[in-house]
Amino acid sequence: MRDVAVLGVGATAFTSQTPEVNWKELIYDAAVKAYAEAGIDPRRDVDSFVTCAEDYWEGFSIFDEFTPDQLGGALRPTMTVCGDGLQGLATAYMQIKTGMFNIVVVEAHSKISELLTYEHIVELAFDPIYERPLSAEREVHPYYVAGLEMNLYLHATGTTEEQCALVAVHNRRQALNNPLAPYGARLGLQEIFHSGYAFTPLKKWEIASRADGCIVFVLAAGEIARRLTKKPLVYVEGIGWSSESPWISARSADASYARHAAQMAYRQAGITNPRRQIDVIEVEDRFAFKELQHLEALGFARPGEAGWLAQSGALGLDGELKVNLSGGSLGCGDLIEASGLQRALEIVLQLRGEAGARQVPNARVGVAQSWRGLPHGTGAVAVFARRD
Amino acid sequence: MIERIEKATEIRHWLGDMEADHYYYSSGIAGEKFFVALRDEGQILGAHCAACNLTYVPPRIYCEHCFAELTEYKDMGKRGCVVAFTIAHYDKAGHRLEPPEIFALISFGPCTTPLLHRLGEVEPEKICVGLEVEAVLKPKKDREGKITDILYFRPR
Repeated sequence: MRDVAVLGVGATAFTSQTPEVNWKELIYDAAVKAYAEAGIDPRRDVDSFVTCAEDYWEGFSIFDEFTPDQLGGALRPTMTVCGDGLQGLATAYMQIKTGMFNIVVVEAHSKISELLTYEHIVELAFDPIYERPLSAEREVHPYYVAGLEMNLYLHATGTTEEQCALVAVHNRRQALNNPLAPYGARLGLQEIFHSGYAFTPLKKWEIASRADGCIVFVLAAGEIARRLTKKPLVYVEGIGWSSESPWISARSADASYARHAAQMAYRQAGITNPRRQIDVIEVEDRFAFKELQHLEALGFARPGEAGWLAQSGALGLDGELKVNLSGGSLGCGDLIEASGLQRALEIVLQLRGEAGARQVPNARVGVAQSWRGLPHGTGAVAVFARRD
Repeated sequence: MIERIEKATEIRHWLGDMEADHYYYSSGIAGEKFFVALRDEGQILGAHCAACNLTYVPPRIYCEHCFAELTEYKDMGKRGCVVAFTIAHYDKAGHRLEPPEIFALISFGPCTTPLLHRLGEVEPEKICVGLEVEAVLKPKKDREGKITDILYFRPR
């Protein structure tokens, strides 16, 4: 079967607010960059367009209909995936694999700064009969579920609060090396603890702040991409996704959704020993403990081991596992449905050797993982590689 | 982009609302049994899957593992233990909650899915995983057939 390569990527910088552009212009900005890099004209060369969006984040209904023009996709095959950017990438990957299309564009964005009732929309995602009434009476912030799941994870694995706080220290610091990331900071462990419990045991600065931004990927069938460019190409070698029970109370402590998604992607990519075979890793860390939980789910550590790896300095540019060098969601901001494509972007830059101060030398294989966020258990995993 | 707005005062915006205030959510077959039993008998029901030896609390009409239809309902009693908990210090507007609200997953025994609810009559420092708790219900006359007919769980 034909292979799938990344022909071009484009992204805006990620920022806490973007009042100077509307959402279409934000998307257009990233799309223009991606097409320039790919050396293509979307009106002539692109066969299909995939957008990742959810009506409630966007602020109007039937958002699917609002996607063609800013991508150059008017009167062409377009579709919207109501999910994270990596789920959109999976759809584009399949469209090329089947042979139906040769060049497919994937777009994911966040204009979340314009949603004035973010917390209410998150609450609206809870079960209306069994879950929502419990927090609605006193208007409790729905992120309490992150505190609950952190407690479950710590208890199941013996991971410590300090090990989780270290993730926030690392990722905010790593973001200083990423020009796209708005939340880079030099914080000490003490400061994370002093930020105080938001939802015990989760601390305030272990929670990613939100950001606006857009990322566009141009995927192409391998034989087309090799004809269009002489540059070394990054290939999508495997991609998987999975959803676990939506019931908050019946959820696993080990991010099973990510484990299953990884198994699917690894099988396609021929990854049997991720720790040895994968050079760069981007996992979802909207809440600091999630990075450790996801590293274990993706097979980079045994249950309870990831925290010790964080403590021993094994996670980061100078460590054994090159994890979230982009700064992750803690450093880049929570980009909502664009979070997964931000991770994929970082992997592509790393594999091309274009990651600047945070470049991993000779990186050849990378993995990006997404989680759609509270209160749900949906994740996706994509494996990328250079073959030259 | 060729030109960008450079002065914040030149940025215009519009305010809008998503018209989705009113939905009607059916409680369904299992929900009807659960809420009627809670209101009228003060019982917390679960639905048992014999094939998987797993009891769902609250009940469902299917098993998410084997997809069998579930018809066996069980009274779980009012006593359980804390599987996980969190102390919520913030409300949706970002203001501190005084006192904080405490949420927990309550297990009614081995091979059951826990119930998400609140803890009350408890010092936050004294809560731990494994804490034995019991449900505190509203008086029968005040019960409406809602999850909040259970006020909270307290240590026993």
